[in-house]
Amino acid sequence: MKSEFYKALLKRLLSSLIVLFLLVTFIFFLVRMAPGDPTQKYISPQLSPELAQQISESFNLNQPLYVQYFSFVKNIFTGDFGVSYNYRQPVLYVIKDYFLFTLLFSSISLIIQLFVSYLFVRLALRKAGGALDRTLSKYSLILFATPSFVLGLILVYFFSVQLDLLPTSGIKSIYHDDLSSLGKLNDYFIHIILPLVTLSLAGIAVFYRYLRDSMEDIFSQSFITNLRASGYTEKQIFNKHILPNAIRPLISVAGIEFGILLGGALITEVIFSLPGMGRLTVAAIFNRDFPLIIGCSFVAGLMMIVSNFIADLIKIKIDKRLVKELMQ
Amino acid sequence: MRIKKIFLLLFIIPLLISCTTEKPEVTNRIVIALSADVETINPLYAFTVDEGTLTETLFLSLIQFEWDNNIGDLIPKQMLATSWQWASDSSFVIFNLRDNVNWSDGQKFSTSDVVYSFDLYSDPKVQSRLYGSFINFYTDSENHVDTAKTFEILSPTKIKIKFLPGSVPSLLDVIFPVIPKHVYEKINRESVPTAEINFNPITSGAYKLKKWERNQMIVLEANKKSFLYKNGMIDEVLFKIVPDYSSRLTQLKKGEIDFCELIKPSDAADLKKLKNLIIEPVTGREYDYIGWNNIDGDYYNKTKNIRPNKLFGSSKIRLALSYAVNRDEILSEYLREYGQAAVTPVSPIFKTYFDETLKPIEFNPEKAKELLKEEGWQDLNKDGILEKGNTNFSFTLFIPSGNPLREYAATIIKNNLKAVGVEIKVEKLELGAFIDNIINKKIDAWMASWYIQVPLELKSYWHSDLEKTPLNFCNYRNNDVDLIIRKLDKNISSQERINLVKKFQGLIYSDQPATFLYWTDNIIVHNRRIIDLTIDPLGAIQKIWEWRVNN
Repeated sequence: MKSEFYKALLKRLLSSLIVLFLLVTFIFFLVRMAPGDPTQKYISPQLSPELAQQISESFNLNQPLYVQYFSFVKNIFTGDFGVSYNYRQPVLYVIKDYFLFTLLFSSISLIIQLFVSYLFVRLALRKAGGALDRTLSKYSLILFATPSFVLGLILVYFFSVQLDLLPTSGIKSIYHDDLSSLGKLNDYFIHIILPLVTLSLAGIAVFYRYLRDSMEDIFSQSFITNLRASGYTEKQIFNKHILPNAIRPLISVAGIEFGILLGGALITEVIFSLPGMGRLTVAAIFNRDFPLIIGCSFVAGLMMIVSNFIADLIKIKIDKRLVKELMQ
Repeated sequence: MRIKKIFLLLFIIPLLISCTTEKPEVTNRIVIALSADVETINPLYAFTVDEGTLTETLFLSLIQFEWDNNIGDLIPKQMLATSWQWASDSSFVIFNLRDNVNWSDGQKFSTSDVVYSFDLYSDPKVQSRLYGSFINFYTDSENHVDTAKTFEILSPTKIKIKFLPGSVPSLLDVIFPVIPKHVYEKINRESVPTAEINFNPITSGAYKLKKWERNQMIVLEANKKSFLYKNGMIDEVLFKIVPDYSSRLTQLKKGEIDFCELIKPSDAADLKKLKNLIIEPVTGREYDYIGWNNIDGDYYNKTKNIRPNKLFGSSKIRLALSYAVNRDEILSEYLREYGQAAVTPVSPIFKTYFDETLKPIEFNPEKAKELLKEEGWQDLNKDGILEKGNTNFSFTLFIPSGNPLREYAATIIKNNLKAVGVEIKVEKLELGAFIDNIINKKIDAWMASWYIQVPLELKSYWHSDLEKTPLNFCNYRNNDVDLIIRKLDKNISSQERINLVKKFQGLIYSDQPATFLYWTDNIIVHNRRIIDLTIDPLGAIQKIWEWRVNN
C-alpha cells in the first residue's frame, strides 16, 4: 500500500513537471508571436538605429525561433531562465523578492479568509435560517460580485481619506527607518490592513458559501441524529464528524484559491502599490520582457501545482479513504 | 460568546494600533510621486523621462542646458566645466573643468573620467543608450569613439575634444552624465549591463542614492561634499512609486505626496481649491494628432515600393479631414484651459522658429465636403457615406487602450467625420500592439501623441527615407521638406535656420501629413511649501539642489 502510494506520488510529480514544461513552451511561443517587440522602445530620435539592432542581437531575437527555443530549453534545465531585458538581472533573482512578498501576503490572506468564513458559518448556523444567516448569505453574494478595485477604492475612501485612520498605499511609511522596532512592526501592520481586507473579502464570501452549504448538508443527515441520540455532545459531533466532512470541498477550493493568490493579485497590488507578482508579471508583459514573462508564468504554474498538491495531502490526512483517489 | 470576543478583538486591535503609530517630525524632506518604478539609474542605460531626472540629479555633465523662455531655446551653463572655447572652424573645443569635484566615494573627478565616459558610452559591448550616436566624432568601424584621435588632455582640468572633419558638432554632443572611471574600469565591459554598480552607483551630483526599494521608493540624500551644496538644500528627496492615479491624487490632497505630474484637467479644477497646493501647467512638449498613413502600407511591406494610400494619399483629402475635426470642442470640454490647438509639429515654445502667421485649421465641415468632392468623393447612393467608384470612405481609427483623452476625442471625431460623410470605426489596441502596428505600417489611421525633443528635431519624424527614419509614422514624403532637413544639418547661420524651419512649417501645413490636434499641458501640482522650483519645457523636476522647503 505504501509503495503504491509513493508510486502514485512520483507519477504526480512527473506529470506536474510535464505540465510545467508545456506551460513555459506555450508561453515562449505565445509571447514571440504576439504583436510587439522588446526592442521597439529603443526606436527614438535620441537613440541611434544601431542600438536597437545591437540589443536585438544580444537578446538573440535575430535568431530563428527554433534556435531561440533550443537555447531556452537547454538553459531552463539548469535553472537558468535568462536575464530580464528591463531589470538587467537574472530572472529568478528579480522574481525572488516579489515572490516572497506575494507568498507572505497570500498566506496571511488565505488564513484570514478561512478563519473569518469559519467564524461566520458557526455564527450563522447557531440559528439556521435566522436573520443573521439570511443577512450573511445575501451580503456574501454582494461581496463576491463586487470587483476588488471597487472594494479597494471604497475602503481607501473611508478609512484613509475620510477617517484618516489607515495609509493609502505602500507596505511601509517613508519614515519607516526612523521608527523603533515596535514602531516598524506597527507600520507594516497598518499598511497591510486595507490590502488584506480588499483581497480577502471576496474569498471570505466564497469560502463562507461553500462551508455553510456543506455543513448544512451534513447537519441534516441521519447519522447526526443517531449520534445525538447516542449521547454525544454537540461539540463532539461538530469537531469529530461535521467539520471533517464539511471541510473537504473547502480544502479543494482553498488549494485553487491559494494557487491563484500566489500568481499575484494585480488589482490590489496596483491600488495599494504593493511589490507583488501580479504587478511584476503585468509590467513584464507590457514591456515585452520575454524572459521575465516566462519566469513569472513558471512560478505561477508551479505554485498552482504545489498548492493543489498540498490541498490533496491535507484531504488525505483528514480522510484516508481518499488515498485510492490519489493513486488513481 | 467566545466567537463574539474574537470578532471584537479582530476589529479593535487594528484601530488601537493605528492610533498608537509613531510619526517622526521631518520638515526638510519632500516626496515626489512616480507612476512606475524606473528600470535603471545608470546614465549609460537611462532613457525614460523619470530615469533622466534621476540620473541628471545623481550624475553631472560637462555643461547643463537651461531653457530661455524669451527666445525659446536652450542656453548652456557651467557644470563640471567652468568654461569652454570653440575653434573658429568648430573642429575642436577646449573645456576647463572644476578642480573641486569629488565622487561620492571620495575620489577626485578629473579629465580621465570624461575620456573614459566617451569610451564606455560608445562601446558596443556596453550597449549604452548612446551607442551609435557619436556621429561627429572619430570612431572605428563599430562606432566606438577613437579616444586617441578625439581627446587631448592638456592638464588634469583641461581637455581638448576634436571632431570629425566636415561634421557639424555642438555642445549637445557632450551633454551626457560623466561616469567614474575608477569604478567602471574594474568591471568587465560585457558585464556592465548587469553589474551591481547599476544599483549602488558612485555619483558626482548634489544628491546621492540613499536607498532604492524596488517598486516602493527611491531615496536621495543631499551630498554635502558637492560643490553644488548650499545651506537650506533639501536633505532628502523621496521618489515614491504610486502606480494608481487615484492613489496619487488622494495622497497629494492629504499631503503625503508633495509633487505630482500629469494630473488630469478635470482634477486640476478640484485641486485648485486646496490652499496647500499650487498648479503649474507646462505647455508645448506633447501634442496629440491623428496619423494618416500617406502610403499603401501593405503594398510597401510586400514590395518595398511606394504608392499612395487609396484614402489618405492625397494632401487635399487630409486637409479636408483636418477641416472636419472640431478640435475646439475637445479643448473646451476635456482639456479646458490646459491645452491649445496645434498647427504643425513645431511647438510654440520655440519662439524664434514658430510661425505665428499660420493659424490652426478651423472647424469647417462645408469646406471639408467641398475638398472631398473635388477629389471625387460623393454620396451618390444617399446612404450617408461618401464613395468613389466602388470604394466607400470608411476606415478604422485605432487608439491605444487606457487613455481617456483619446477615447473621448475619438467619439467626437467619429461624429465629426460622419457629418461629412466619412464612416469610421474606433478600435482600441494594447499599447505594445498599437506601436507595433504603426511601426510596421499595418494600420492606416490612428490617434497618438508625440512628446517632442528639445532642441527642435525634425529629421527623425519627417524625412522621407522610410528605412532610416522609422519614426516617420505617417510615411510622409516631400522632396522640399527633405531638402530643408538636409540643409538644417549643415553649418548655417541662425537666420537661415529660422527661415528654413518656417518654410518647413508652411509645407507641413499645406500637406497635412497628419491632423495636428492640440498641445496638451503637463499639469504639475506641488505643495506650497516647496519653493524655488524651475518648471519649464525642459522638465518639471530639474535642479532639485535649488529647491527649498518653506515650512
